[in-house]
Amino acid sequence: MKVLIIDDAMVMRNIHKNILMEFGLHDEDLLEAADGKSALQIATTTPIDLFLVDWNMPELSGLDFVKSIRSMTSYKNTPIIMVTSEAAKYNVLEAIEAGVTNYIVKPIKADMLKEKLGKYMLGR
Amino acid sequence: MKAKYINPFLAASMNLFKNYLGVECKSGTPYLNSDPQNLEEVTGIIGLAGETVGAVVLSFSRETAIGIASKMAGIPYHTLSNEVIDIVGELVNIVAGNAKKDLLEFRINISLPGVLIGSGSRIKWPSGVPVITIPFDSELGPFSVNVSLKGAE
Repeated sequence: MKVLIIDDAMVMRNIHKNILMEFGLHDEDLLEAADGKSALQIATTTPIDLFLVDWNMPELSGLDFVKSIRSMTSYKNTPIIMVTSEAAKYNVLEAIEAGVTNYIVKPIKADMLKEKLGKYMLGR
Repeated sequence: MKAKYINPFLAASMNLFKNYLGVECKSGTPYLNSDPQNLEEVTGIIGLAGETVGAVVLSFSRETAIGIASKMAGIPYHTLSNEVIDIVGELVNIVAGNAKKDLLEFRINISLPGVLIGSGSRIKWPSGVPVITIPFDSELGPFSVNVSLKGAE
């Protein structure tokens, strides 16, 4: 299983990586990008099974990344979890409309995030 | 600035620092800051745009920034490294993004965070809009959350 973690804050990428490793994923399963544009490049060369994506990032925002990914046939149904500080209701609705599978507002405790990620890790 | 515009930033800050990071802290009385360029050494800045304009600035001493970043990352930092600066940017991003939830009058877009180092840093506050400072006292040292929001006076 390949997971792409997209966040411009390294600390958040590390927090997410540590949680995903608790599900038995290894370092080589966890790909990282600091912006939406780099993430798109990775996703077009490496098949990704799960995306964790922030909203506010340079180059290409998380929202625009989601729209681009959902326009690709191969990623029509791939889970995309948006993990963002954007807590306004209109942001949540906009993200859902763009195609995110789940929306998580930062800050979130590691055990809560682990619980929310659990259903995407079935069989691991 | 009316309390209903300040309270979302106060609540978002308490949630982040006290509930999430577990930093013992207390907020002081918010006040109109007549010298908003005179902040601490490390400042994280987010611009607000959309149906209003404004800015949110978190301001820390070097020691407080390092201490809070260490809490956030779960590893001790000892200097004002790129990682600490990165985390300060994330902190202001969280406060601004979370506060939007309760600012129901405006649809707001937040900018990417910027971090300034040095007590002589110039912050580009929105022209003619007052800056309200919420002081905090914490076990890791004092810090402040500074808010300027046009239309909220």
